[in-house]
Amino acid sequence: MSNELISKKDLLDLTGISYGQLYRWKRKNLIPEEWFIRKSTFTGQETFFPKEKVLERIDKIQSMKETLSLDELAELLSPLSAAGVELSKNELLKRNIVTNKSLELYVTENGMTESFPFDQLLKVFILDKLLSSGDISLDEGRMLLQVLKEASGTLGQSKHELLLIRKLGVTSCLLVNGAENIIVDQGSKVTVRLSVMSCIEELKTNL
Amino acid sequence: MENGMKGNLTINGYGSSNGGHFNQVKLNGRGIVNGNLECVLFECNGSGAVHGDLKVDNGKISGSGKVKGAVEGNNFTIEGHGSVSEGVSLLNKMNISGSSKIGGNLRADEIQIKGKATIATDCEAENFRSDGQFAIGGLLSADHIDVRLYGESTAAEIGGQTIKIKGKKRGFFQLFKPFFQTKLTVSVIEGDELQLESTKAEVVRGKNVNIGPDCEIDLVEYKESFLCDDDAKVREFKKI
Repeated sequence: MSNELISKKDLLDLTGISYGQLYRWKRKNLIPEEWFIRKSTFTGQETFFPKEKVLERIDKIQSMKETLSLDELAELLSPLSAAGVELSKNELLKRNIVTNKSLELYVTENGMTESFPFDQLLKVFILDKLLSSGDISLDEGRMLLQVLKEASGTLGQSKHELLLIRKLGVTSCLLVNGAENIIVDQGSKVTVRLSVMSCIEELKTNL
Repeated sequence: MENGMKGNLTINGYGSSNGGHFNQVKLNGRGIVNGNLECVLFECNGSGAVHGDLKVDNGKISGSGKVKGAVEGNNFTIEGHGSVSEGVSLLNKMNISGSSKIGGNLRADEIQIKGKATIATDCEAENFRSDGQFAIGGLLSADHIDVRLYGESTAAEIGGQTIKIKGKKRGFFQLFKPFFQTKLTVSVIEGDELQLESTKAEVVRGKNVNIGPDCEIDLVEYKESFLCDDDAKVREFKKI
């Protein structure tokens, strides 16, 4: 992910939104507080944003604001608000949210449950995402679930990122909180780097 | 909030109670509630205090009430000398007509200030109207900001759609240098439609910017139109 920043002025120019809209969206938490990066420039204080993230977010808001109210949008975009969702196993499969294979793996590891509250759903979803993309093997999937289990309760509350590092065919799975740059030795390779927050958003749009 | 089984709490004179769920809570005199309080109607006349968070549909402090915690609810009014040590978050309207201190964020749909308000961090609303003084430690953000200045007001930043700042009326008394200055001091103002008077700012950015009398502004950046009164000092302006 690039760390390029965009100034507020350029952002408004590029997207065609007004100051009013930007501040309104900020108030509704559609654009998270931590994306507003203040810097002093020679013309005084200016605000910058992480370019890629903010453009994607504004695009999303603009495409959805026709059909949804701002409050509904905020609900959709905020990471913690879907805590009340609970889906049954059949529903998950029927609506193609996850595949049967990942669900089976999850059930054998964590025991049988009939319905999945959001935090469990998230774990299955992350597992499924990585398994289906072919990034990890079944064994690695088990390891991943173990890591996610350790972190249960706090998962997704902050800037969690999931990392899988492989060296000589041996994999380690890490869950890091707010690490900008990760440097590994030459023999190792970071095979997966996934932001938990983006998984949550993706899952929610699927629900 | 359903209020089927809940009772009322009234403290007249000295007294204290534990918190809990109530229908009506009235503190007349020096009533003290220890713990979190949840009620439909809250009234504090006198120097009452709530040591805990307050969750209320309609709340009112008319004496010198204190909430040592956060306030959450629908409508809230401070008429005397109220203070809230943490944030205030309301679905509807905040009315401040005495002097009030808020130790955190203030969030409401509508905020009206007629006295003096001190807000430690951000102040957010859809409509913000002030006919008094305010000191905001963070960002003042609202769709419509309508300010009539009396005395000195400050904010770190102001942002919104339409921002109107009006200074006092100019007349005969202008011949004497006033003892209290009428001024709004802020570092950055950003909005679409801006009409400013008696404002001191480092940067003003907007679509249509109208700088009125008594302003001192270091830099104006505008998109469409820029008007400047003869009595205003604008060091630099540019179209972007």
